[in-house]
Amino acid sequence: MSTEMLGMILAGGQGTRLGKLTKNTAKPSVPFGGRYRIIDFTLSNLSNSGVNTVGVITQYQPLELNRHVQNGASWGLNERGAGVTILQPYASSEGEKFFEGTAHAIYQNMAYIDSYNPQYVLILSGDHIYKMDYERMLAFHKAKKATLTVAVMPVSLEEATRFGIMNTDDTDRIIAFEEKPEKPKSDLASMGIYIFDWAPLKKYLTDSYSTDGKMEDFGKDVIPAYLAHNEPTFAYAFHGYWKDVGTIQSLWEANMEFLSPNNPLNITNRNWRIYSQTEALPPMFFTKSAKVQRSMVTDGSYVAGTVEHSILSQNVKVGEGSTITDSMIMPNAVIGRNVTIDHAIVGEDAVVGDNGEVIGKPDDIAVIGYGEVVGRKEKA
Amino acid sequence: MRQGEMAAVIDLNEDVHTLLPLTEHRPIGTLPFAGRYRLIDFPLSAITAADIHSVGLFMPESERSVQDHIRSGAAWNLDLIQGGVFLFPYVATRDYQNDDLRARYYENYTQFLRGSGSKYTVVMGAKNVANVNLNAILNYHKAGDNRITTVYKKLPLDRIRPTDWTLALSEQGTASAIVQAKERHDDQGKNEIPSFMDIYLLATTDLIDLLDDAAQSHVFRRLPELLRDYVLANNANAFEYTGYLARIDSIQRYYDSNLQMLDDASFQSLLLSSVPILTKSKNEVPSFFAKDATVVNSLLGTGTYIEGTVQDSVVFRNVVIHHDALVDHAVVMQGSKISTGSTVKYAILDKGVVIGPNLTIVGKPDKPIVLRKNQTVFRESEVEGSAHA
Repeated sequence: MSTEMLGMILAGGQGTRLGKLTKNTAKPSVPFGGRYRIIDFTLSNLSNSGVNTVGVITQYQPLELNRHVQNGASWGLNERGAGVTILQPYASSEGEKFFEGTAHAIYQNMAYIDSYNPQYVLILSGDHIYKMDYERMLAFHKAKKATLTVAVMPVSLEEATRFGIMNTDDTDRIIAFEEKPEKPKSDLASMGIYIFDWAPLKKYLTDSYSTDGKMEDFGKDVIPAYLAHNEPTFAYAFHGYWKDVGTIQSLWEANMEFLSPNNPLNITNRNWRIYSQTEALPPMFFTKSAKVQRSMVTDGSYVAGTVEHSILSQNVKVGEGSTITDSMIMPNAVIGRNVTIDHAIVGEDAVVGDNGEVIGKPDDIAVIGYGEVVGRKEKA
Repeated sequence: MRQGEMAAVIDLNEDVHTLLPLTEHRPIGTLPFAGRYRLIDFPLSAITAADIHSVGLFMPESERSVQDHIRSGAAWNLDLIQGGVFLFPYVATRDYQNDDLRARYYENYTQFLRGSGSKYTVVMGAKNVANVNLNAILNYHKAGDNRITTVYKKLPLDRIRPTDWTLALSEQGTASAIVQAKERHDDQGKNEIPSFMDIYLLATTDLIDLLDDAAQSHVFRRLPELLRDYVLANNANAFEYTGYLARIDSIQRYYDSNLQMLDDASFQSLLLSSVPILTKSKNEVPSFFAKDATVVNSLLGTGTYIEGTVQDSVVFRNVVIHHDALVDHAVVMQGSKISTGSTVKYAILDKGVVIGPNLTIVGKPDKPIVLRKNQTVFRESEVEGSAHA
């Protein structure tokens, strides 16, 4: 059996910059946009692109993520002979196989990849919000006769200092790569999306680990090695909505952007749907005192208060007299009566008691952690 | 996997003519309810909650909508390696002169029942919307003296219509007959009547015997009639259900029951009670509320887009309500669209109805206007015609 292109999602990172929100869960399983989790975008892109064999590499706090992904059926990825496999570190006769970096995680899962004998391997992160057709990127990869294609998108020069920046020639071939440069020479940022020809990648990784063992990271180690060896390495330009939601601020911003009816992500497009695990919840209930504007609400929610420019995820309760403004409320949170929530992210299963206040600022978002209970008049 | 102690038969051949035009292309069992559900979700959820592994669905004449909704039964955890949902096609039972068809009608039931290997069988319809605990009924049956158990709820007289089926209860609390309300006597001084919920529980072997005997007869009798006769001949245990009950057998009752879900106690009693109500979920986006949206005292499904005003209404998924539109005391089914400046009040909009701009479509609380599936309205005169047709 052979699969043309195998997807590998790197979902093992800790996501420390999300603070409380990733204390007990991996970043890709953090809720987004009312009824999604961050990884749904990547999994739906795979399904919509016709890539139906996918390994999800998990390591940090994987319980919730594993439970969410299961066998991939929610994204239509459970076809016979294909499907989603959760790949976790394991012990073997050569020792424990914890993942030291992105490339190392692929190296440790070579047996899984080889079992499908793919020609190409598509490497993805599980923590970006975007819609992308990987099939078109593969067509580009083939047309350029590349052994590595890196998806890039233009960013501002200030932002460029936070990314891996590619310098390309006029055929899109990458001639130089700088990781988080102080003085960027280009504005093409790596999106952390790679298509590799599997045979050469495997050789680079195997050779490296059988000698000095340095190839831990794609950005730091693998791409420089490819350039040094003159491998045909190309940049595939992406022009669409793409958001790294690795910080509280960017997660909040992406949710607020999601609320805009003109969001280029176009979530309601039925030709490129974002799927998620669905649960049969009761319809939304709005009482006589409810007031909801410029907002999104999801099933199972009960609203008796005022919701302005905010997202309520599944099963959220908002009591009478409460006001929620410019905030993202995650699933199963309970907001009592006469509560004020402003510029905040409220975690799953959190409780804000009657008269509570959770008030942040546009540049300093307040966060209530998963299952956290906030009583009266407490500042987050 | 062990076989369940109880099997279930859901008979979807329920009388649809009082619900026309909503039932033109669907049985009562797939009528949408409460912004999210189909009526058949309620018996199926009760079945799942009672750990029943074998369910026979006996199809109505318009079976496509049932197939669409049920699929593998996965939404109710009924896609099992043993047992699961068994769909039996509609047998043209009106043609009962035909011996073969008549035999097939009974055989479908008995074949399913023999295959289930279950000691007991519960027989239900879909038009009684309730949250029932079937294991409690099974325990009551085992403790009772009679061979069959019936389920009822006491309803005030003003909620009973002459054609409703009710139980004739003895002093000891057993049912001696199932009769229509208009045939009742001896009810003087009572303000409540035991309304029959179309639920029977009996030993599977007794049910098979009943069907086998009927197959020998030259008079065709359908299963509900056979069971009513059986109660009359043998008496029945009568289990009293005390939760929420809606009996969906007329347009008015359908409309009233949907709006009744806006009452907190009814909503909680039906949807947040011991049996979680399961249904097929779609990958729908969250509902969006625009700058001037107003939504009060209403139920909403996912994927709706609201710019106007919704009050005292039940709105299903994927409905679009434009600026300055008003939806008031209405039931609006999935995929409908109400254009700018239009008012819809005291009305039921079936799936995919489109209301053009600046129209006023107002029925009466006791006679809601019904718009047919996929009907497009651009002149008020079109509606008056269809509403009184």
